[in-house]
Amino acid sequence: MIEVRLFATFREGRDKIVYMEPDKAACPADVLDHLGIPHEEVAICLINGFHSALSAPVKDQDVLALFPPVGGG
Amino acid sequence: MPGDSRYSRQTILPQIGAEGQKKLLGSTVAVIGCGGLGAPVLTYLALAGVGKIRLIDQDTVNLTNLNRQFFYRESDLNQEKCKRATDFLQSRNSEIALEAVCERLTGENAGQLLSGVDVIVDCVDRIETRRQVGRAAGKLMIPLVEGGIHGFYGFVLSILPGKSACYECASPGDAEETPPVPAIGAAAGVIGSLQAVECIKILLGLPHILYGRMLQYDGLYGEFTEVPVHVRKDCICQKRTEGSGL
Repeated sequence: MIEVRLFATFREGRDKIVYMEPDKAACPADVLDHLGIPHEEVAICLINGFHSALSAPVKDQDVLALFPPVGGG
Repeated sequence: MPGDSRYSRQTILPQIGAEGQKKLLGSTVAVIGCGGLGAPVLTYLALAGVGKIRLIDQDTVNLTNLNRQFFYRESDLNQEKCKRATDFLQSRNSEIALEAVCERLTGENAGQLLSGVDVIVDCVDRIETRRQVGRAAGKLMIPLVEGGIHGFYGFVLSILPGKSACYECASPGDAEETPPVPAIGAAAGVIGSLQAVECIKILLGLPHILYGRMLQYDGLYGEFTEVPVHVRKDCICQKRTEGSGL
């Protein structure tokens, strides 16, 4: 399973952690489409703590962390 | 140091003591942004006795600031934030030196404005300024404490240039919030207070700094989550390390 951790406003109306079968998500973009998150709203996409392009491959046991822009002061 | 001195409640801590207090009094910190995050950061650094603090902010006070930026009074509207903030802080601790820089930090002046400090605390609200602060901290090899908020959410990440992930390692893109960014004062207080703790720990040389660990706060769930952030090999911070030393 791929573990998808959502943060900040991405949690609103969704679970904060979502699990997806690897055959249903080849890359972070597939995960975003599944969750209904517009790609342009993603400020940080990490796979196992490393920055990832939305088109990069994801595999079983990966932890994907997705963040919207959070920068206000 | 007398037992009833200004700093006695913190010098009794084994992590601080008289030597630690001397370190704080001999330290210089730059804080960029005198807003919702800057207010708690600056207040707690000043009260703790950080000897010299440089406040950098070009903004003036407006009405929408008053739900969270406790430095300012209704009578301060349209006045320069860094000057009003300096007045507030100096009235709480007259023993420290405060330097108000009422300028916008840019790629051109960042090196000059931030040089010579021991720690930089980033309390800005624009991605581009955050990027310039991060790059300048990297060039100057000065530890940086990042923070940001959005409504009930926020994060803190400390950065040791050349050693731990910078903000651009995690976020190389230009995604930015559409203003006005929602902000509740209490959440800004949580994040700003955490930034101040990080800064004090760095100044004291204490362990367990949030280097490579982004601490996420979710006020709605009432939880903190630690997210590892690793260095990105093609990040500008790594090119700098491999280059001429800057």
